[in-house]
Amino acid sequence: MTPEGSLLSAEALHKAYGATPALDGAEFSVHPGEVVAVMGPSGSGKSTLLHCLAGIIRPDSGTVRYGPHDLTRLSDAQRSALRRSDFGFVFQFGQLVPELTALENVALPLRLNGAKRKEAERQAREWLERLEVDAVHGQRPGELSGGQGQRIAVARALVTRPRVIFADEPTGALDSLNGERVLTLLTDAARDTSAAVVLVTHESRVAAYSDREIVVRDGKVKDMLAGLI
Amino acid sequence: MNAIRRVRSGPAVWARDLAMGMRFAAGGGREGWIRTALTALGVALGVAVLLLGASVPSLTSAWHGREKARENLGQRHEPRPADHTLRYASADTVYRGAQIRGRLVRPDGAHPPVPPGIRRLPGPGRMLVSPALKELLESPEGKLLRDRLPYRVAGVIGDEGLLGPQELTYLARPSALRENAGYRIDHFGKAWDSPPMRTPVVLLVIMTCVALMMPVMVFIGTSLRIGNERREQRLAALRLVGADVRTTRRIASGEALFGSLLGLAGGAVLFLGGRQFASPITLWDVNVFPSDVAPGPLAAAAIAVLVPAAAVLVTLIAQRGITVEPLGIVRNRPVLRRRVLWRLALPALGAVLMLPAAGVPWTDTGLNTLRLAVGSMLLLFGVTALLPWLVDAVVGRLRGGPVPWQLAVRRLQLSSGPATRAVGGITVAVAGAIAVHMLMTGMQAGYAQAYARSGKLPQVGYWSGEDDWPRAQRALGALRATPGVTAARGVIDASAGRLPRHDASSGYDPSRHVSLAVGSCAELRRLAQLPSCRDGDVFVTHARGKGLAPGATVDLAPPAGMGPPPPPSPWKIPGTARTARVLAPPAQDAGPFVDTAYDLLATPAALPPSRLQNPLLELRIDFDRGTPDALEHLRNTAARIDPTLSEYSHLDNPHDQQLSSVRSGIFIGSVITLLLIGAGLIISTVEQLHERRRLLSTLDAFGTRRTTLSWSVLWGTAIPVALGLGLALGCGLALGALLLTLIDSAVVVDWPVVAGITGIGAGVILFVTALSLPPLWRMMRPDGLRTE
Repeated sequence: MTPEGSLLSAEALHKAYGATPALDGAEFSVHPGEVVAVMGPSGSGKSTLLHCLAGIIRPDSGTVRYGPHDLTRLSDAQRSALRRSDFGFVFQFGQLVPELTALENVALPLRLNGAKRKEAERQAREWLERLEVDAVHGQRPGELSGGQGQRIAVARALVTRPRVIFADEPTGALDSLNGERVLTLLTDAARDTSAAVVLVTHESRVAAYSDREIVVRDGKVKDMLAGLI
Repeated sequence: MNAIRRVRSGPAVWARDLAMGMRFAAGGGREGWIRTALTALGVALGVAVLLLGASVPSLTSAWHGREKARENLGQRHEPRPADHTLRYASADTVYRGAQIRGRLVRPDGAHPPVPPGIRRLPGPGRMLVSPALKELLESPEGKLLRDRLPYRVAGVIGDEGLLGPQELTYLARPSALRENAGYRIDHFGKAWDSPPMRTPVVLLVIMTCVALMMPVMVFIGTSLRIGNERREQRLAALRLVGADVRTTRRIASGEALFGSLLGLAGGAVLFLGGRQFASPITLWDVNVFPSDVAPGPLAAAAIAVLVPAAAVLVTLIAQRGITVEPLGIVRNRPVLRRRVLWRLALPALGAVLMLPAAGVPWTDTGLNTLRLAVGSMLLLFGVTALLPWLVDAVVGRLRGGPVPWQLAVRRLQLSSGPATRAVGGITVAVAGAIAVHMLMTGMQAGYAQAYARSGKLPQVGYWSGEDDWPRAQRALGALRATPGVTAARGVIDASAGRLPRHDASSGYDPSRHVSLAVGSCAELRRLAQLPSCRDGDVFVTHARGKGLAPGATVDLAPPAGMGPPPPPSPWKIPGTARTARVLAPPAQDAGPFVDTAYDLLATPAALPPSRLQNPLLELRIDFDRGTPDALEHLRNTAARIDPTLSEYSHLDNPHDQQLSSVRSGIFIGSVITLLLIGAGLIISTVEQLHERRRLLSTLDAFGTRRTTLSWSVLWGTAIPVALGLGLALGCGLALGALLLTLIDSAVVVDWPVVAGITGIGAGVILFVTALSLPPLWRMMRPDGLRTE
């Protein structure tokens, strides 16, 4: 059963790596425009939960609902298409393509969706301006500071106007000042576009930017507002 | 506080660090073992090639040595018949295109000399044969040859009496050997200087070695990159526990040394195993025993020392651009701006060395050979130097395109080094292969053209010393009666001189040379238009404007140019001699042995051939190609007439098979080289993918299609390979054309082969891409996103 009005939800997720369980009946939901922080200690299953929710990996059992779709029943190609069009991603180290310029990195998801280069780069430019890194649009990732690189990664996640943004420790490699700036830009931009944000972090300082916090421990999820779901 | 201990250095420290590196290589896990195995494979191939190259001098020396030992060439004076002498004559023949060396002996006494490879001479009517000839004679294919060699096989010639295991040769003792056949000798093994290797052979050896070694070196360089990340982590960990930078470099060198030493051993095994396959290979008519393929001890020792040293040196050079710090590797190599000027200097210098020779007739001197070899090598190496600049220049100008193209182009723009290094090997190999192939094709076409006229003409000539006209006539009759023979003609000819002799010198004077032919009226009518003819007539032709007139006296023993001149043997042209007009040779006689413009024609009764000095029977036979084995039947008849008759024909082009085998060898070598380079490219590509696995997982996370990244890998391989092949084609064709011009041969390009090599290059691209896809897809899995 889908929690009412939720954009993305998961029920009874189980996932194990060999004999080690990563998720053990985890439940999750997020509403449009909502920022949910997923917290927990190292190895608790936070990233696995994010990967299951985003359709990057298939859980061993359980369902992940996104609109009319059950992600666990979609083919790899269908999940990839969904990730290209509806989801955005920010990772700890940005993971920008080192050969491409900042502008080209941001335009990449649009181009993968079939957009023409000029149009993709026009839209990318807008996001670079919005995230205050337009000045470095022609530089490659190796020439950027950590904060700039992460803002480029945020712009890349937002450029397709996704409905859900998955951010896995997005400020883990940044100092607190840069981290806060990136989080502010990310959450503001998400709220402006009514995108939901799933924010995986182990820092309560980061979780403070969320509307709701859940904690993953031993593969189970605990909602800090509602108690154990 | 403890004092800081000074770091020791010296051979002991070097040995300790190298040993530690070798231990890491031996116990470095799967990646380490793969790296070690591939390095060893590359070094093994390189060592095998080097050992093979180092064997060429001893190989040719052994080959020529056996040739010298079993002949008696360069004998100045014939010994008198004695107990220890024998008459020795050549009876070479050709059987279905295969050359057969035949030697006839007739001992003068009880203790004749014996050539190597046999214990004693065969008895009358018997022969000793090489194993290959024995096999041929015993096979159904050798039926006609058995008729030609009417001797009983009494034994097999040992290896020391053969040039190679495939040689077809025999030593026979005919029941009767005519007195003037061959010459008398008292021992075998007269010293003579073997001719130096011909320029094309030297070029072939050098260019083959260069073309083979370059890809091998590239492969070694590439294999050293495998597992780089883990190695760098290990070196950083060593720094953390107190190792200094030099120590880490020595340890890294030790890792390379381990693979190199394994490769050295593997190369030796490969070489020793590979040379066993030398027996069936005949290259340029040279077929050798496996034991001949042995490098000199000095060369072998140099290879054993230099190859591992080179591996250490390569590792040290590769580490110049990085500093191993306790927390990781710092790459401190500045971005290089590739300059074109010095890169052009190498090929330009090569061209300068070669160009002055073009346009002037080629002379086969040591200096010219060296100049050609160095020029060719500089041109080939120049290609490698030009390639990185070309890739940078071309790739730097590429813009736009779909995402896969953009990803590939940008990666090359940022770092074209690894791909270019790998492709550099392709470029040299392909350019070298094309150039050598063109050289061979051009030479082959030249021979084919030369043989084309005579080869089409079903005609064979024979010549032999003969001073008896009735015997000559019997020979003509036997030849005419042979199945498939359509016509046979012949005369006994000789040289005469004008009298009085010009001066006392013994020198040959062509202006006073008179050529004469003795034959029956029927035979003379084939040469000239005779008014009438009967035995006893003589004719003057004025064919060469010698101004001979009836009644003039000619010298039948003219000075031949060697030794003291013989006493004059005057012969007066009868006053009854008439004038005859020499006929133009029949149109189909164009080609060899058609110089029938004799000054004097005589019938045997007028001038007995026994009076002539060095009389030579010249026979020309036409045959019908439609008759099965007509040529072999004809050769059998000739052998029955006189086994020492020398055949004079251009029917079998021996060069065609020689050059074809070389060309096939080059083509196979190119394919193997390209595959080796393909293997290097796969290593390089997979290693790059491995280093980018987290990025690949990220790209997969936001929905990048597999096909997008697969195409990106394809383009990333295809762009440098295409540029390398383009450059190699240009350079190879130019070099080949230059080489052919230098040796005065027509420039011929074997386009199918060029297309074939290019096609294989394209195949390598697909091969590399196809094999890179499974690791690519594996690395696109979300595992790369896991940080815990």
